[in-house]
Amino acid sequence: MRLIVHNMLTCNIKGVVNKFPLRIEAEKVIKKDVDFNPDFLRHMLAKIEWKALVDGARSMGYTELPDHAPALESDEPFLKKFHHALLELNLEEGSLVCQETGRKFPVEKGVPNMLLHEDEV
Amino acid sequence: MKATLAPSSLISLPRHKVSSLRSPSLFLQSQRPSSALMTTTAASRGSVAMTAAATSSVEALQEGIAEFYNETSGLWEEIWGDHMHHGFYDPDSSVQLSDSGHREAQIRMIEESLRFAGVTEEKKIKRVVDVGCGIGGSSRYIASKFGAECIGITLSPVQAKRANDLATAQSLSHKVSFQVADALEQPFEDGIFDLVWSMESGEHMPDKAKFVKELVRVAAPGGRIIIVTWCHRNLSQGEEALQPWEQNLLDRICKTFYLPAWCSTSDYVDLLQSLSLQDIKCADWSENVAPFWPAVIRTALTWKGLVSLLRSGMKSIKGALTMPLMIEGYKKGVIKFGIITCQKPL
Repeated sequence: MRLIVHNMLTCNIKGVVNKFPLRIEAEKVIKKDVDFNPDFLRHMLAKIEWKALVDGARSMGYTELPDHAPALESDEPFLKKFHHALLELNLEEGSLVCQETGRKFPVEKGVPNMLLHEDEV
Repeated sequence: MKATLAPSSLISLPRHKVSSLRSPSLFLQSQRPSSALMTTTAASRGSVAMTAAATSSVEALQEGIAEFYNETSGLWEEIWGDHMHHGFYDPDSSVQLSDSGHREAQIRMIEESLRFAGVTEEKKIKRVVDVGCGIGGSSRYIASKFGAECIGITLSPVQAKRANDLATAQSLSHKVSFQVADALEQPFEDGIFDLVWSMESGEHMPDKAKFVKELVRVAAPGGRIIIVTWCHRNLSQGEEALQPWEQNLLDRICKTFYLPAWCSTSDYVDLLQSLSLQDIKCADWSENVAPFWPAVIRTALTWKGLVSLLRSGMKSIKGALTMPLMIEGYKKGVIKFGIITCQKPL
């Protein structure tokens, strides 16, 4: 699971208010190269929840992202860090944790399992 | 020999317009006595009640679906490729198509569906959800076509993993990704998808009303919803249920394909109307998919097909044995291949 996806996932347990973001507990992170595409990244910058991305990256062992996205978003060194965090870090094994209930959604072989139990629906 | 797809034939699609509108009802047809797959009871037309026993049978259904696709996806991909849906053919095309002809037809199904819904490049589709994504064929195709971000959800971990691997292999992993999630409880905020895509997954949904509500919830204002699904025929005015022989035929198919109760195209239209969707359109494409199941059976009966089936397991074998029932259902007008599309108001 890459952080571009994590940035969209919510906890959908019935009654939960604080559904986003899910905290990441990383057990196995692997890095996979992805082609650098500045236009795509600039477009994504507008849509990304920045704090969730920074915290998510930290949970996966990457601390290079600034706390706030810089005003000069065309800055290439920044875009390279953004690219790496957003697209190249892969959570292979671990959990996504609901901040409100503590419920853990497992991530196995890079695939998050967001299925709810009977009593959570 | 490949069948040529004449452009003029694209215009004359069989259309089934819902002319008289019944009062909107969020109901599911439930005509069978209780079985493991039945999840709702309708006390009267227009009301739905989920019993406690029913909800755990939803979990059983979900597990069944996941296991079915965990077991059969590899086999399907080996023989048919990464699109797990019907091909779209010209009506009355009786030409024996080559493998590549069928794959082209599967791609044509995607294109025809987009076109029917009025989804063109100009619509600036940025973000798509593929509900019941299989191994991601539609997602990858749509992501490539529109340059859009696609998220796919499936109940099968095997499918999700395979879908991700294929995306990586096709250098699309920055655009598409796949998760295990429930179409009836989608792990997304409201209103984030410009296109909500459900290609032949609706038939697995035990609660059609909830399914449609979720599709609508995650659609962005102005976004489009496309549902392509197996249905039973529309009921006539005054008809409360399918004939017993019709229901019996569907029941036999339900067991091996892990399907809950079927509904009709009109039922989907009613649901969408009740949720105030706009520009609701539907069509009956049964004639356009007629060559599909015979073709699937032919591939199953090849040497490669039989060996693969035997290796794959009982679910695959039972599935293969059920395919003639699909043909029978279509021939007798019980089963329909329907498309229903609409737009969420701004």
